[in-house]
Amino acid sequence: MVNRTAIIKQPDKISFFNDVYKLQKQYQEALILDDSNPNFIWIGEHQLCYTLGKGSNYDNLLFSLNDDKYDVFKIDRGGEVTCHMPGQLVTYLVLDLKSFNKDLNWYLRKIEEIIIKILKFFNVDCHSREGFTGVWIGNKKIASIGIGCKRWITINGFSINLDCELENFNKIIPCGIENCHMANMIDYNKNLNIEEVKKIVKKIIQEEFNFEFVSK
Amino acid sequence: MSHEIFMPALSSTMTEGKIVEWLKNPGDKVERGESVLVVESDKADMDVESFQDGYLAAVLMPAGSTAPVGETIGLIVENEDEIASVQEQNKGNQTEVSTSDQLELVSNKIEEKSVVQTENIKKEEVVLKSEKPAPSFKSDQISAATSNVSSRIIASPRAKKLASQMGVDLAKVHGSGPHGRIQADDILKANGQPVSIPWIGESGSPASIPSVNVKVESKPETSGNSFGKPGETVQFNTLQKAVNKNMESSLDVPCFRVGYSIETDKLDNFYKKVKQNGVTMTALLVKAVAKILKKHPQVNSSFSENGISYPENINIAVAVAMEDGGLITPVLKEPCNSDLFELSREWKDLVKRSRSKQLEPDEYSTGTFTLSNLGMFGVDRFDAILPPGTGAILAIASSKPTVVANSDGSISVKKIMQVNLTADHRVIYGADGASFLKDLAFLIENEPETLVS
Repeated sequence: MVNRTAIIKQPDKISFFNDVYKLQKQYQEALILDDSNPNFIWIGEHQLCYTLGKGSNYDNLLFSLNDDKYDVFKIDRGGEVTCHMPGQLVTYLVLDLKSFNKDLNWYLRKIEEIIIKILKFFNVDCHSREGFTGVWIGNKKIASIGIGCKRWITINGFSINLDCELENFNKIIPCGIENCHMANMIDYNKNLNIEEVKKIVKKIIQEEFNFEFVSK
Repeated sequence: MSHEIFMPALSSTMTEGKIVEWLKNPGDKVERGESVLVVESDKADMDVESFQDGYLAAVLMPAGSTAPVGETIGLIVENEDEIASVQEQNKGNQTEVSTSDQLELVSNKIEEKSVVQTENIKKEEVVLKSEKPAPSFKSDQISAATSNVSSRIIASPRAKKLASQMGVDLAKVHGSGPHGRIQADDILKANGQPVSIPWIGESGSPASIPSVNVKVESKPETSGNSFGKPGETVQFNTLQKAVNKNMESSLDVPCFRVGYSIETDKLDNFYKKVKQNGVTMTALLVKAVAKILKKHPQVNSSFSENGISYPENINIAVAVAMEDGGLITPVLKEPCNSDLFELSREWKDLVKRSRSKQLEPDEYSTGTFTLSNLGMFGVDRFDAILPPGTGAILAIASSKPTVVANSDGSISVKKIMQVNLTADHRVIYGADGASFLKDLAFLIENEPETLVS
């Protein structure tokens, strides 16, 4: 059975990381129990926080974990530490790969393709790099990807830096890559509007995964 | 009895995975469908679940280590009283396990400090870590541990399948693989069969045919393929099913065949010279065919609902038989853009990765013209079935010394190779096929050295 129904949430205000993570987990559990439940897409922004994958190396965090200033979360995804903050658009996809392709490499490459399409829509020239999952403008990283998966139901997704305080990345070694410079989309398209980007993210995701959006 | 937990394949291209975390400790009860560990490949994590109810008896590869796909990384037993014996057999690992226990304690303590909202998230939120993940595992410990095991048998899935087909008792087979793992070759040896090199359609060298002939004649009984025992009906594997589908679809295509006998003395001499530089006969033939297809775009075309479809590229697919049934057609893309040496390297890489089933879809599905070469078996002619989505396929037989009557009335002995083109008559006509073969023969007979670049 191919299930292409999906619920989409696009809150206008900044969301707390934990709340959205819990929400993703609920949709993932629901799909594990019954694969006719809808897929779930979330597009929004977070307060400043740092997240680590299960296998992340703590050496890439350049501040003390005792420091109350920073929110740090360890979550179900691959990859090293990253940073979320207002001005960065985060997209989560809880989707049942059994309805698409049971291949995590395929899925990662598909997400790269989607990000490149989104950026190209706004005339930002970018590319993927073999061996360095994510999307790049020259040697600067514009978008990061991290995926978790349980019984082929995914969790987490990708983030694109639109217009955020890139200094926050200085507190970490992003993705565990030394001297990894980050980029903001606004520096490549001065007229960028975050609401417009959200619409395009939704449109391209719908087209690429052939989703039928439903309300709960 | 114990059940193995294998490193899973998270994608068709994955060769190894990293164990991120064991969610269960040895001795823990596990339910069917419950996550036992987390494996990472690239930027994706996957929970690995238990296939049955039981107890995690042993962790053979600790968190932080990397294992090839299919490797046994843990053991699950059905009854609690089996845990001790399995742990005894895998004693080398016990120290590692206690290390991970310590880590668990460390992170539990830290959790008390963290501000969290739900019980569930609490476990996943970590705020401090003073130690690195579990230290890397010493491989000699594992081999020492597992090679002493007499009751537990480690065998590759193919070895197990072969053993059941041939009626070989796995317990009596000595494993030659890592940590004493029983490989397919070990089963063949145990069954008294010589170990066969997978009969992949490479080599295909007309020049080497006499020696291959000797081989074929001297022990023909070793080369036959069988996937089952007499009296059995064996299910098609995925690849065989895919081939069946493709072959059946050719029944809707009105095909014709046209053949040509090509002299290969010059080609063979040229091949002898370049062989030492790593050039393969397949690369030579692919290059020759691609060069001639460039001049004959009609033979590279295919039928579509809208008319004759001319692909943008010339991509040559070459049929490769798989050891465990079925075949695959790795594609050499735009051979005219690579020199012969690049092309040979590319081909060797494709064959190697086809054997381990690591080809990307666009590496075996983008052919615009197909070659099928059975020359290495000494066959003098055959015809091939047209793969769907393409217009033509060329069947290449072996090159054999043949008495030839020349136009001046003299006779001589020349090496002759028969080729046979199968084509879709809706897009390629007899004259197209014939003139393609004529030009191909001219190139191979007169100018093989131009294939270098």
